[in-house]
Amino acid sequence: MTISRRVAIVRAIVAKDLREFSRDRLWMVLTPVMLVFYIGILWLLPNTVDETIKVGVYAPGLGGQFEQAFDSDAISTETGLQVVPFDSPDALEAAVVDGTEIEVDGQKHSLDIGMVFPDDLAASLSAGEPATVTIYVDAAVPAEVQTAMSAVVREATYAMAGVGLPVTQPQQELVVVGEDRVGSQVSPQELMTPLIAVMVLVVEAMALAGLVAVEIQTRTAKAVVVSPASVGDFLSAKSATGTLLAFGQAGFVLLLVGGFGHQPLLVALALLIGSIMTAGFGMLAGSAGRDFMTTIFISVVFMVPMAVPAIAALFPGAASVWVQVLPTYGFIETIVGVIAYGDSWADTYGYLLLSAAWCVAIFAAGWFVLRRRVEVL
Amino acid sequence: MATSTTAANSAAVSAEELRFSYGDHEAVKGISFEIAPGEIFGFLGPNGAGKTTTIKMLTGQLRPQSGTVRILGHDLRRDDPEAQAHIGVCFEEKNLYDAMSGEENLRFFAALYDVDGLDTDALLERVGLADRAKDRVGSYSKGMRQRLMVARAILHQPMVLFLDEPTDGLDPVSSKAIRGIIREEAERGAAVLLTTHDMWEADELSHRVAFINEGQIYAIDTPENLKLQHGRRSVKVRRRDEAGVREESFGLDDPAVGEQLRTAVQSEGLMTIHTEESTLENIFVEMTGRRLEA
Repeated sequence: MTISRRVAIVRAIVAKDLREFSRDRLWMVLTPVMLVFYIGILWLLPNTVDETIKVGVYAPGLGGQFEQAFDSDAISTETGLQVVPFDSPDALEAAVVDGTEIEVDGQKHSLDIGMVFPDDLAASLSAGEPATVTIYVDAAVPAEVQTAMSAVVREATYAMAGVGLPVTQPQQELVVVGEDRVGSQVSPQELMTPLIAVMVLVVEAMALAGLVAVEIQTRTAKAVVVSPASVGDFLSAKSATGTLLAFGQAGFVLLLVGGFGHQPLLVALALLIGSIMTAGFGMLAGSAGRDFMTTIFISVVFMVPMAVPAIAALFPGAASVWVQVLPTYGFIETIVGVIAYGDSWADTYGYLLLSAAWCVAIFAAGWFVLRRRVEVL
Repeated sequence: MATSTTAANSAAVSAEELRFSYGDHEAVKGISFEIAPGEIFGFLGPNGAGKTTTIKMLTGQLRPQSGTVRILGHDLRRDDPEAQAHIGVCFEEKNLYDAMSGEENLRFFAALYDVDGLDTDALLERVGLADRAKDRVGSYSKGMRQRLMVARAILHQPMVLFLDEPTDGLDPVSSKAIRGIIREEAERGAAVLLTTHDMWEADELSHRVAFINEGQIYAIDTPENLKLQHGRRSVKVRRRDEAGVREESFGLDDPAVGEQLRTAVQSEGLMTIHTEESTLENIFVEMTGRRLEA
């Protein structure tokens, strides 16, 4: 049989699969609903990160010394601190405790931290008497920032009292190792994008598993393989259908959310590897399923752990070792690296190779198991 | 055990010493037979006799552990497209695509068999499904599905047809329609291997039949020859007398049958006289000790 004839057979089976898919009410409802859901989630998530910590200060009797010491424009651009002066300690407390937005100089502020200096601070400092500065901190402010604020109060108080350290301050040189992301933090939207892509692949693995399971359970696969179509043609068609569905929909979602904005070929290649892996999972789950419910159950058991690396990517820090050995880890790290951190081919080739190796292993397992299943029908 | 009977020269199907085991269970124990072009070959046996395993080997679904299968001279190997292009199979299970219409099912398989310009209307008309061509197969009755299975099996005008219980559970009208198609296909020149539990159907359609039991062929011959060789020709007479209704059976091969029949006809109270032929079912039971429905 000629290659063109084989291609024609595979194409006929794929066209038939897509027709069946398009007539399955479950997937026809689920697919657009999920797409809208995913895009809705991404749309709702902020695409920027506000890096500025806003500090409200009530410091009467200090003659604006505090504000002068922390010039707000310089602070906000260089250190991420913005000082908002208050006239009343009650207003400051309410602003931090209740989260009330307050308007200062025509701008609305939602405060993270509030510092209330006592009215007689200067006098107390001069007399060498103890004074209490109250610091209000929003619960979401990290502990290290809270500690830093205490240091700021201490240093500011020294400065206001005219008491400097009896040393010469050294010149400081800040060296950022890696890409300095101050001012361009990775947004929640960028971090969520790979998870969305993985969820699309999970659903499409279930769709392929459903198609395969129906072919097995109704034994239509048997009718196909006693025709001039070989078992290999049948498996090739199922692989192509699964890859096409997964790549098409995940690619569509990424296209809508701007996932192809940087290194589009690299993203497309990673997505293709993930889609072929999805086809392998679909063939495995479809071969094992006895009916619709067991097929869906097995698909979930196979695929949900595969989403774990994408969930891990949402949180800072290195993933656990057990997460790194999951088959989708390399694929997700590639997508995260390119979309969120602007990685290049050189940065991601290791992850690409890892995901390609897993892809080959899972696809081969799916092919082998489904082949055995079809042969004994 | 019967030896195989050769159908004719240049057999369409040739099975030679086929063997297959599932683990320790030897399902097919070296069976051989041939089917000539245009011949309808009844393959009869109870469940578990080895029919399905044999058909799987003949259609390329299973590779024989020993022996050879030839389809139109091609040595059949698994995935042999040359041989499989000439085979049409109607499975016992109704393995059709429910989400697709009857017409779409046929067009899909036409693409696999590389049939250009299939006249689906004519084919569906032939099996009585023209008015349901556009309906999804999921809405078809059992009889309609079976007729579509037959249409699928013959859409590429195969020279070898394997029909597994093609009229099982069908209404008389559907059964008659399918039997008509089987005859037409044989007249076209196709070799037909027919498995059925319906002995009347096998007798009616088959040019030759094979009895298979426990993986072995017990007999291959025409139904007439089997009945002649193994059956007992007789006449059954029913008459009424003082004791009530009586039945008597006279063997036609008995030298005294003439006198016995004359006496019966002349006697008072004669009710009915029937000739009795042995059935394939009876012959099968006599030869194998098993009933076909077992």
